[in-house]
Amino acid sequence: MQFIALIYTDEGTWEAFSDEERESWYERYRALGREAENAGVLAGGNELAPTRDATTVRVRSDDTLVTDGPYAEVKEALGGFYVFDCESMDEALEWAAKIPSAEHGAIEVRPVYVDPEEAQL
Amino acid sequence: MKYALLIYGDDSAWADLPDEERAALRAEEMPQWISLFEELGKADPNVTGKELDGRSTAKVVRVRNGERLVTDGPFAETKEIIGGVFLVDLPDLDEAIRLAALIPAAKDTGSIEIRPILQ
Repeated sequence: MQFIALIYTDEGTWEAFSDEERESWYERYRALGREAENAGVLAGGNELAPTRDATTVRVRSDDTLVTDGPYAEVKEALGGFYVFDCESMDEALEWAAKIPSAEHGAIEVRPVYVDPEEAQL
Repeated sequence: MKYALLIYGDDSAWADLPDEERAALRAEEMPQWISLFEELGKADPNVTGKELDGRSTAKVVRVRNGERLVTDGPFAETKEIIGGVFLVDLPDLDEAIRLAALIPAAKDTGSIEIRPILQ
């Protein structure tokens, strides 16, 4: 069963880190990636560009409306995610708690929905 | 450039529907989703997508002073939450915008946030 772990952090905190601090965070992320991969749990993951590089698209009355910026201006923004292949939500939460940014941000864990009757991408 | 297309919507009305009505609505929307999958597949044969389960299944975990804190519910306290994501490799942002507008969930109250993926 797949779970997605959405990583929410204050982008200001991240950008205030020195290059060395950021590198040590990245090293911890790489270590987590290796650990999850060795455990056969890692099913995906990506780091997103900051919200200042976001574009939001809405369709209203058949018109496409495009705005610069994220969907919502929030203090703590989605910065990346992992997909974990786990037996249960409890196991997914254990992996989520290992995500380095859980120490200063928040990790939202959601089951991936699979409709058995539908073709999956 | 690889992009994440994040689908934001209000799933509360959807979640409150009886199973049968939800299945009927899903079936009604399915042709639009299938034509979207075809367009995405033409743009990037390696496109992937994940649909997330509803807000009642969400948990939030934080670690503070070495202690794990788990709470119920999505992180954001807004009506609209992430309901799914596509990861797709595209030539440019204009193509990402074109495809985002084809996502059935971009209509009505939904929004699609496009974010470049860092390599």
